[in-house]
Amino acid sequence: MNRLITVAAGLVIAALFLSCSSAPSGPKQMTIGVSFETLQTEYWVAGFEAIKNELKKRNIQALEAIADGDANRQLEQVNNFIARRVDGIIAVPKDAKTIISMIKAANAANIPIVLYNRPADQTDAKSVAVVADNYAITKTTVEYMCEQAKKTSKKYKAAILIGDLGDINAVGRRDGFEDAVKQYGDIIEIVARIPTEWNGEKARAGMTNALQAHPDINFIFTSSDFMFPPIIQALKEAAKYKKIGEEGHVLLGGFDGDATAYQMLVDGYLDADGVQDVFFESEAAVQAVLDMKDGKDLPAKILDPGFVIHQGNLKEMAGKMWGAQVKKQTVRN
Amino acid sequence: MMEDSKKQRRSGFASVFEAKAIRNPFTSEYSIFCLTILYFIALTPFTPGLASAENAANIFSNMLPLLIVALGQTVVLITGGIDLSVTSTIALSSVIGAMMMTGEQGLLGGSRWAAPAAVIAMLLAGAVIGLFNGAAITLFRMPAFIVTLTTMMFASGLAIWLTESKSIYNLPASFNSIGKGSLFIVPNALIVAVLVALALHVALTQTLFGRWLYATGHNAKAAEVSGVRVERTVRLAYVISGLCAATASILYTGRMETGSPVLGQRILLDVIGASVIGGTSLFGGKGKVIWTISGVLFITLTDNSLNMLGLSYFFIMMVKGAVILLAALLDAWRNRLFVRS
Repeated sequence: MNRLITVAAGLVIAALFLSCSSAPSGPKQMTIGVSFETLQTEYWVAGFEAIKNELKKRNIQALEAIADGDANRQLEQVNNFIARRVDGIIAVPKDAKTIISMIKAANAANIPIVLYNRPADQTDAKSVAVVADNYAITKTTVEYMCEQAKKTSKKYKAAILIGDLGDINAVGRRDGFEDAVKQYGDIIEIVARIPTEWNGEKARAGMTNALQAHPDINFIFTSSDFMFPPIIQALKEAAKYKKIGEEGHVLLGGFDGDATAYQMLVDGYLDADGVQDVFFESEAAVQAVLDMKDGKDLPAKILDPGFVIHQGNLKEMAGKMWGAQVKKQTVRN
Repeated sequence: MMEDSKKQRRSGFASVFEAKAIRNPFTSEYSIFCLTILYFIALTPFTPGLASAENAANIFSNMLPLLIVALGQTVVLITGGIDLSVTSTIALSSVIGAMMMTGEQGLLGGSRWAAPAAVIAMLLAGAVIGLFNGAAITLFRMPAFIVTLTTMMFASGLAIWLTESKSIYNLPASFNSIGKGSLFIVPNALIVAVLVALALHVALTQTLFGRWLYATGHNAKAAEVSGVRVERTVRLAYVISGLCAATASILYTGRMETGSPVLGQRILLDVIGASVIGGTSLFGGKGKVIWTISGVLFITLTDNSLNMLGLSYFFIMMVKGAVILLAALLDAWRNRLFVRS
C-alpha cells in the first residue's frame, strides 16, 4: 500500500509541475541549439568554437550537444532542443540520411534548422546547409600542385587518401582530385586510391601499404588535414619526408586548413592546402537561422567558396586560415 | 530449547531490523524514483522547458529502448554476471534486419514479408549471441567479462564488415512504424517496452526461473547443491539479455529509419549505469524490473536536463560518470552491510 502511495504521490507532483509549467516572463534571450556529431578533429573543434563565438557576439545563448558519433543520441539531443523550444538549431549531421528525421522533427515544431558542413540527402523536409565547395576547392588545390609538378618536368605517381564515401564531402573532394589530375594525365598517374573512412589508423596503414607497393609515389593528396600525422609517419618510415626543393620531395596537398597543415606550410613541407573558411561558415550558419526565423527564403545550400593557401600566398592568406589562428592561440597558451 | 531458538530468532530479527533501519534511506524500493522526482522539482525553475508535456514525452521516448536493454542487463546482473556485448548485439541486429528488408537490394526487399522476417532475424541474432555468451560462460567456466567483451568485439567487427561501415537506408514504413508510430495515441515503442517489462517482472517474481536466478546470483554453489539448474539458468539469462538488446535494436533502427553498424555503440555505460543506479547489485542476487525503470528514468532525466541547461558535453559526461560511480559505491557498501547483517 505504502509503495502505491509513494508512486502515486510522485506522479501527482510531476503532473502538477507539468501542468503549472509556463513560458518564462520578460524579454527572452534567443537560444540556439548547436548539435555536433563529433569533436574528433581540429576542424570540428574550431567550427564548434567559431559558432559559439558568433552566437556570443550576437548575444544569443548557445545550448551545446555532442552526439559522439551516435546518430540516435543526436536525434535525442535535437528532440531535447525542440522540447526546450529553442529559436533555432545548427547541426553537424552524423550522415546525410539520419539527419532527415531530425529535420522533420524541427519542421514540425516550426524551428529553423541549419546544417553545418554536411548537407542532408534529398528530402521534402526544409533545412539550409552551409557547406564548403568541396569539389571546387579541391580541384583548385590539386591544380596548383599539378602546376608545381609540371615545372619540374618529371613524371609523377599520385596517391589520394579518400574519406568515407557515405559523406558527400568526401565524394566532392575525391571528384575534385580526379578531375584536376585528369587534365595533367601526361605527367601524373594515379597509382593508389586509399580508403580511410575518416579513420587515422586506416590512413596510416593504407599509406604505408601504398608506399610499399609503389615506392615511387611522389604526389600525395589527403581529403582531410587530420590525416597528415599518419602520412608524415609513413613518409618518414620510407625516408621520403623532405622539404620543398630538397631531392626526393613528395608533392603534398590537403584539405581543411588545420593547424598541422599551417605548420607544415611554414616549415616548407606542404605545397598547398584547400581551406574551408570556418569563420565564413559559422557566421553564415547563424545568420541563416535568424533569416529563416524571420521567414526569409534561403537557398537550400549556402556555399563557402574557401581558398587555396600555398607557399606563394602564405603570408597574405594565413590571417584567414583558421588553423593558423588555432596555432597562434596554442603558442600563446 | 524452544526458548533459546525463539531468542536467537528474535536477536536475528533485531539485528536485521537495525541494519535495515540504517540502510532504509538507500534501500527503499522507490528511493531512486523519489530522488528522480526531487531532482526534477529542484531543476525545474532553472531549466526552461524541462517541465513541459512535450519534454515529458521526449524523455519517455528517449528512455524506452534504453529501458529494454537495461532490463536484459538486469537479468544477467542478478545472476552475478555482466553482458558487455549488448551494444554490439544492437548494431549487428540492426545491420542484419536492414540488409534483409532494404529497398530493392535487400534479401526480401520489396516483399510484404520483409519487415516481419527482418524482425524475426534480428531477434534470432540477439538470441544466438546471448546463447553463445551463456554457453561459453557455463561450459568453459570463463569469466563473463572476457566472454562478452570478446563477443562485443566480434559482433561489432562483423557488423562493420557486413556493411563496409556504411549505414543502410530505405527500410519499409511498416518496420519504421515500430520505433516511430503509435497505436491511437499510445506510441508503439511504449507498448513494446511495457510488454517486455511485464514479462520480465512476472518471470522474476512469479516463476521458478526467477527464484533460480536470484539463488544463482546469491551463491551459485549453494544453489546448485539445492537443486537449482545453475548452468541452464545462466544460459537463459544471457539469451534474455540478447533478445532484449535485439528488441531495443528494432526500436532504435525503426526510429532512425536506418540500419547502422555503429548503432548504440556509446550506450553501454548508460545501460549498466541505469541498472546499478536503480539498485541492481553488481555482485548478483539483487535486482527488480521496477528498480531498473527508476534507474533508466533517472539517467535519461539527467541527460535531458543537463543538455537543456546548456552545459557542455564534457561536463555532462563527468556528471553521469560521477553518478554511476556513486551508485556503484553505494552498491558495494550495501553489499558489505548485508553480508555483516
